[in-house]
Amino acid sequence: MEEARVGVFVCRCGTNIGGFLDVPALVEYAKGLPNVVYSKENLYTCSEAGLTEIRQAIAEQKLNRVIVASCTPRTHEPLFRNTCKEAGLNPYLFEFVNIRDQCSWVHMQETKKATEKAKDLIRMGVARARLLEPQEEIEVEVAPSALVIGGGIAGMTCALSLADRGFEVTLVEREKKLGGLLKDLYKLYPTQGDAVELIGAKIREIEKNRNIEVLTSATVKEIKGFFGNYDVTVKQGEKDFPFRAGVVVIATGAEEFKPVGMYGYEGKNVVTQLELERMLKENKFNANNVVMIQCVGARNEGRNYCSRVCCMTALNNAMIILERNPKAQVFTLYRDMQTYGFYEDLYRKAREKGIIFVKYSPERPPAVDEGVVKVFDEFLGEELRLPYNLVVLSTPMVAHPDSKELAQMLKVPVDEYGFFLEAHVKLRPLDFATDGVYLCGSAHWPSTVSESIAQAYGAASRASIPMSRRHVVAEPIVSVVDQEKCIGCGLCEMICPFKAIRVEETPKGRIARTITASCKGCGVCGASCPQRAITMRHFKDEQMLAEVVVLAEGK
Amino acid sequence: MSQQEGFEPRILGFLCNWCSYAGADLAGVSRFQYPTNLRVIRVMCSGRVDPTLVLEAFMRGIDGVMVLGCHPGDCHYISGNYYTERRIITLQKFLEIIGVRQDRLFLDWVSAGEGERFANLVRDFTEKIMKIGPLSNDLPPYQLQARLLAARDALSQQRMRWLVNREKELWDEGNVFGEKVDQDEFNKVKFEALVREYEKNRILHSISDKAQSVKEIAKATDMTPREVLRNLIVMEQSGLVTVSGIDGVSPKYRRLGG
Amino acid sequence: MEAKGSKPVMVIGGGIAGLQAAIDLGDMGIKVHLIESKPSIGGRMAQLDKTFPTNDCSICILSPKMAECYRHPNITLHTYSEIKEVSGKMGDFSVKVLKKARFVKEKECIGCGDCAAKCPVRVLDEFDMELRRRGAVYLYFLQALPMVMTIDRDNCLYLTRGVCRICEKVCTRQAIDFEQKDTEIDLDVGGIIVATGFDPFNPIGLSEYGYKRYRNVVTALEYERLICASGPTGGHLLRPSDRKPAEKIAFIQCVGSRDVKNNSYCSAVCCMHVTKEAILAREHDPKTQSYVFYMDMRAVGKGFQRYITRGEEEYRIKYIRGRVAKITEDLEGNPIIWYEKTIGPTTEKMKVDLAVLATSFVPRRGTEELAKILGVELDEYGFFKTEPYAPFNSTREGIFVCGCCREPVDIPDSVAQASGAAAKAAEIVTGGYS
Repeated sequence: MEEARVGVFVCRCGTNIGGFLDVPALVEYAKGLPNVVYSKENLYTCSEAGLTEIRQAIAEQKLNRVIVASCTPRTHEPLFRNTCKEAGLNPYLFEFVNIRDQCSWVHMQETKKATEKAKDLIRMGVARARLLEPQEEIEVEVAPSALVIGGGIAGMTCALSLADRGFEVTLVEREKKLGGLLKDLYKLYPTQGDAVELIGAKIREIEKNRNIEVLTSATVKEIKGFFGNYDVTVKQGEKDFPFRAGVVVIATGAEEFKPVGMYGYEGKNVVTQLELERMLKENKFNANNVVMIQCVGARNEGRNYCSRVCCMTALNNAMIILERNPKAQVFTLYRDMQTYGFYEDLYRKAREKGIIFVKYSPERPPAVDEGVVKVFDEFLGEELRLPYNLVVLSTPMVAHPDSKELAQMLKVPVDEYGFFLEAHVKLRPLDFATDGVYLCGSAHWPSTVSESIAQAYGAASRASIPMSRRHVVAEPIVSVVDQEKCIGCGLCEMICPFKAIRVEETPKGRIARTITASCKGCGVCGASCPQRAITMRHFKDEQMLAEVVVLAEGK
Repeated sequence: MSQQEGFEPRILGFLCNWCSYAGADLAGVSRFQYPTNLRVIRVMCSGRVDPTLVLEAFMRGIDGVMVLGCHPGDCHYISGNYYTERRIITLQKFLEIIGVRQDRLFLDWVSAGEGERFANLVRDFTEKIMKIGPLSNDLPPYQLQARLLAARDALSQQRMRWLVNREKELWDEGNVFGEKVDQDEFNKVKFEALVREYEKNRILHSISDKAQSVKEIAKATDMTPREVLRNLIVMEQSGLVTVSGIDGVSPKYRRLGG
Repeated sequence: MEAKGSKPVMVIGGGIAGLQAAIDLGDMGIKVHLIESKPSIGGRMAQLDKTFPTNDCSICILSPKMAECYRHPNITLHTYSEIKEVSGKMGDFSVKVLKKARFVKEKECIGCGDCAAKCPVRVLDEFDMELRRRGAVYLYFLQALPMVMTIDRDNCLYLTRGVCRICEKVCTRQAIDFEQKDTEIDLDVGGIIVATGFDPFNPIGLSEYGYKRYRNVVTALEYERLICASGPTGGHLLRPSDRKPAEKIAFIQCVGSRDVKNNSYCSAVCCMHVTKEAILAREHDPKTQSYVFYMDMRAVGKGFQRYITRGEEEYRIKYIRGRVAKITEDLEGNPIIWYEKTIGPTTEKMKVDLAVLATSFVPRRGTEELAKILGVELDEYGFFKTEPYAPFNSTREGIFVCGCCREPVDIPDSVAQASGAAAKAAEIVTGGYS
């Protein structure tokens, strides 16, 4: 590589730096540093005037490294990098030195020492800049096709949204028919809309759409490759369907927990909500003393979560029962009534319609005996005996038992309950830390129909981003493996949170390789590698060591 | 130790781009003042900081090092700071073992919203270093250099790097048999191995120029002859040293190979 | 599907939902006009200290999104702007936007704050929930984007009375410009996403709680500013009347919510955010003891139930099921909580240092006017009306709604909805909409 020709621009930032640090001294000092061929001050380096000076200096002084000593890289590094790019200099040959936010602004009473500090920081910046290397942003092609796993309301909504944008979608459903849980539901809250009608309409839309290929009675057998280029094999009966997908959406839903051994459950006189809905649908319902018990198998030690939908489901079904049989008596035994948001109205209506609510505490749960439910009413402070001919248990949605298998295939995590674990609980609820895989519906967390639909659109949006651009641009701050030093121990693969480095079989043996499209540049692998075979572009060991060395050297 | 006249601590900080560096910037925006001694090297993640780099800083006379990352659970790269934690805690204990005060290495978590806290941490650490004096207070210069160098080489060794970086998983998730490793047991094994590596490197450095006898090595490294001999026996078996000459009735050892 | 040549999309609202929708669309290659009425993007999330259930520092996770939006090549930010008129139809809307004059040149101002330090005016600061005062020239909050000052025309001495102009004199960049005028621009867009967020319900009408009568009765958002490190008390929980640290705190749920006389719906997030606030108080000072007066503990999201359990066990929060009948005050300004425990039932009273009202979420002020301008309907609660199984469709084709302006939701749901609305808008402008 050619000899470094460094240009240093020291910013006054009006009086923010200029009023505290001896800027002319810094300029002079910079001139004396090795490889610095040009040094000047600006009033505001980030202004048009300042940027023009940088561009001119690059051309006239044949600079191949540029340093700006001013505010903080967290505001203007992109601006100055772009300016270098415009002047024909690789943007990664630019270095920022923070002499305002971390110097002039915090040492306002010690200006002499602050100036000395700024000198040290500039010296460190120059030492690093000398060792910087040009980097090219990495482009990875993304196939404009998606694999959607799961043909319920979430999977179908997502598939339709993507297909309507012109992307090819392969929708894989393991049951014989599309529809998921909604096929088994009766009427949906809060509109009392018919579940089968809703799902039927969606299925018809799917069948009409030319961009969607539906594979039912099918499962995903294998997924190889990486983000943008997944090689998928779907197994349908005896046949295998291989195809390429750019992105994958998980919409595999969840299932109802069956409370075997709890509250006398036998599926006849003690049933679950889903079984009740089937009875209502098939007109096999004729009870007039109904007791519903909430939180069966939920919000306890083994399953410490609230399944979100059960209270609304129970109230909705209770009101349907009363409509069918206005003389029926319905009791709802609950711990907390989770009718959140606008669903609160359901609770109010249910009370008005005459459903009777009994609050019980988890320390004294109800007991289902022959013909009567015994429950200690917390408000009355008394035990009640409620005669029944039907007990309905509201049980939580739980993850499918094979969700972990799918998770491993796609290299994404699940939480302790088997629900898929998103990248960030607050700000990235539909993404995974692993790029290119997305999530929606009850596979993520129990959700209402409306919420599943909303998330499905959300996942479609997220999945469409890499496909819209046909490629992703990765910042070149990625890991680099020295193939000679690597012995394929696999530690890097184990610790990378993004699965962005993998050990592969090569003619030379097992060697680690960076998946540049997925590497986020944290550098944890670099600092861990037992053979010291990994370093990070733009944050190389030598570059960091150079900063330490010149700092310690002093003047 | 009383404060030395005119001592200006030289303090180096490794700050991660997303949290602690941002917190430091916020301290600036909010004008929270702190002493001028800190020099910052920005990294993308505190997990980028190799403990050997910290030792390089000490080797060159830096009096105090701060490593500041995101709060556990908040790491921008999900789990980088957990590795930072394990490495730096190990290094702190190791420093103590080799005779350097472990409070010269400071580890903490600063979020992007904690400007005032950042300033306070820097102030407190600077004052602490002022009180305990320069690094050269801990050990005589020759010993300091030799020990830090051996420590750095010990932590560069592949087995040690493997151990320290597997700690988190072994404690949290268990080994391939699903057994969770007992933390105290693990630490015992880890530090035993580390000290062994360290002693080995001390010996290797002292015989790097010419062959030395056990007595000579013991004197140069401040180790007991017994410790030296115990190490030499193992090193001879693994082909690192060989007998080369005699001094009276004592054999002299020299390095084998590179 | 190429996005080149497609019409832009307008996003109204620069809070977390608006930002997410804009970023998604921008990343798809679609141009976005983001209209924000305040001087800075960030919305309500910028006012929070930490967020449940992870206790992430709110501004730390928000500001990268703000920065991404600010720098995005496909997003044009119009802050301190309002929607004046909307005409046209789906795929072809014409929007008149009023860009209010800041009286500060955005290109010159670097937000250094020299002017604010010298401004002689003192008015109540909106961002800090009126817990402190600011000048007439001010930065909306410390991490504002764009990082430029704004002059409050209603309180500026020069703009109201023709005197002062000190700010102009101290600015080293000549960034103050009293000649600036409001401007109107016309934007042609294919789709509109409304993400205008919420306001906290003002409990002044619920006189039994003594809000504004007793200084140590505050709302939850005011509490957030008190406990926030960048807030008016530097994150120390000092109560308003005498700056004494608050060690015994009462949190009162459902203030204005689940209340047929005010808002009959449930605001969905208060049980969680109050638990968070109690946890933060205890983390800050282990001597703190918090009491939560609730009706139903709603923790329906991922990790939420665990969080409540943690609150109870690790942070010793006492959850008391009961309604607070009234709050009075003793001679030292300590609020007295008069409540009925439903399990008993017994009526009791408790003296605390600070009472925090978890107020309902209501639609932002100006929602009715905006709805009229947009030509969309509001639901019975005053939020933008959508369909349950087409959750982002407003009553006018091509206009979508997401986040708290649609119904009270937490941050993960706002973000998911924002992406969803972006998908809907994208369908329109990139063709293929069926």
